[in-house]
Amino acid sequence: MKEKEEISRRDFMKVATLSIGGLIGLGWGIPAIAYVVGPSLKGNQTQEWIRLGSTSKVELGVPTLFKVKVKRQTGWIVNEEELSVYALTEDGRSYIAMSNVCTHLGCRVRWIAEQDKFFCPCHNGVFDKQGNVVSGPPPRPLNQYQVKVENDQLLILGG
Amino acid sequence: MIAKFANWLDERVSWRQVWDAIFLRKIPKVNWFYTLGSATLFVAVNQAVTGILLTLYYVPTPDHAYDSVQYITTQLPAGWLIRGLHHWGASAMVVLVVLHMLRVIFYGAYKYPREVTWFTGVILLLVVIGFGFTGYLLPWDQKAYWATTVGTRIAGTPPIIGDAILRIMRGGEDLSAVTLARFFGTHVWVLPVTLMLVLSIHLYLVIRIGISAVPTKED
Repeated sequence: MKEKEEISRRDFMKVATLSIGGLIGLGWGIPAIAYVVGPSLKGNQTQEWIRLGSTSKVELGVPTLFKVKVKRQTGWIVNEEELSVYALTEDGRSYIAMSNVCTHLGCRVRWIAEQDKFFCPCHNGVFDKQGNVVSGPPPRPLNQYQVKVENDQLLILGG
Repeated sequence: MIAKFANWLDERVSWRQVWDAIFLRKIPKVNWFYTLGSATLFVAVNQAVTGILLTLYYVPTPDHAYDSVQYITTQLPAGWLIRGLHHWGASAMVVLVVLHMLRVIFYGAYKYPREVTWFTGVILLLVVIGFGFTGYLLPWDQKAYWATTVGTRIAGTPPIIGDAILRIMRGGEDLSAVTLARFFGTHVWVLPVTLMLVLSIHLYLVIRIGISAVPTKED
């Protein structure tokens, strides 16, 4: 028979203290991490169809600005925010709807009719009327919303 | 590897000397009542950790305080736990500091040469009560509002200076946004800084002088 390995009192206390301390540390640490990152992990809120307005307002071949109010819940606050959407049609039957958020760093682009382009004031990003990048730093075209037409009303899917 | 690094660091900063002074210091044969101070310290650390976490979401204004607390409790992962630990920890603090004080009284541990440790302990007791009083208002619900109405009114009862005390505590005639903001500021800045200063003196003295033994019949 092998002799039992002796654990000194001091070593036992050391291990016991460290393990209990570690458990308590985890008991604080894990909930703390979940608590801190919780709202950041929450995905986009449910998407719904938002009515922009009558299709007759969209001029042929010119991006037309629609402003709609949407309710947004952030934390414990429900805010009414204004959503700006550019709608474009070439034939009066099929429509595209573009976000006015620049794909570079999130500033708001504006349609300048005289130059037939979208311009972003922050870093000189330029987009054509379809939202494709013409020049400047934006890495991709303007984001598009899913669109549908119901009873001559233009709707987009957003949240 | 770890041992090597520990030695490397010890050679430069002598951390082992500090470690030994704190954790390997000689103590007389004592009983479990002598752990009440450490228990208080543990809960104080809990209050600090959970309190800091709560400030990440809590907003001390009348139009957001209640809603942000509800958000913490019902919407955030483990928010109920963090708030619960802070809430129940607050009660535990008061119970533990009182028990700790009673132990010191009954064992005569406040006597020479530990008077200054006792004085700082009395200040710490007041700080803990201050934490409890200011923290109670922060959820801004009915209980908080009326408890602070009553509490500040009680503070305003002394003759002559009473009215001034009441107005200073409330930041005006009535309980308002000003009251909530200054209670919050006191709770998260004034009192924690005071606590850290006085507590470090308290702990330094406990370690420097050493703790008292259980008194015998002859003492």
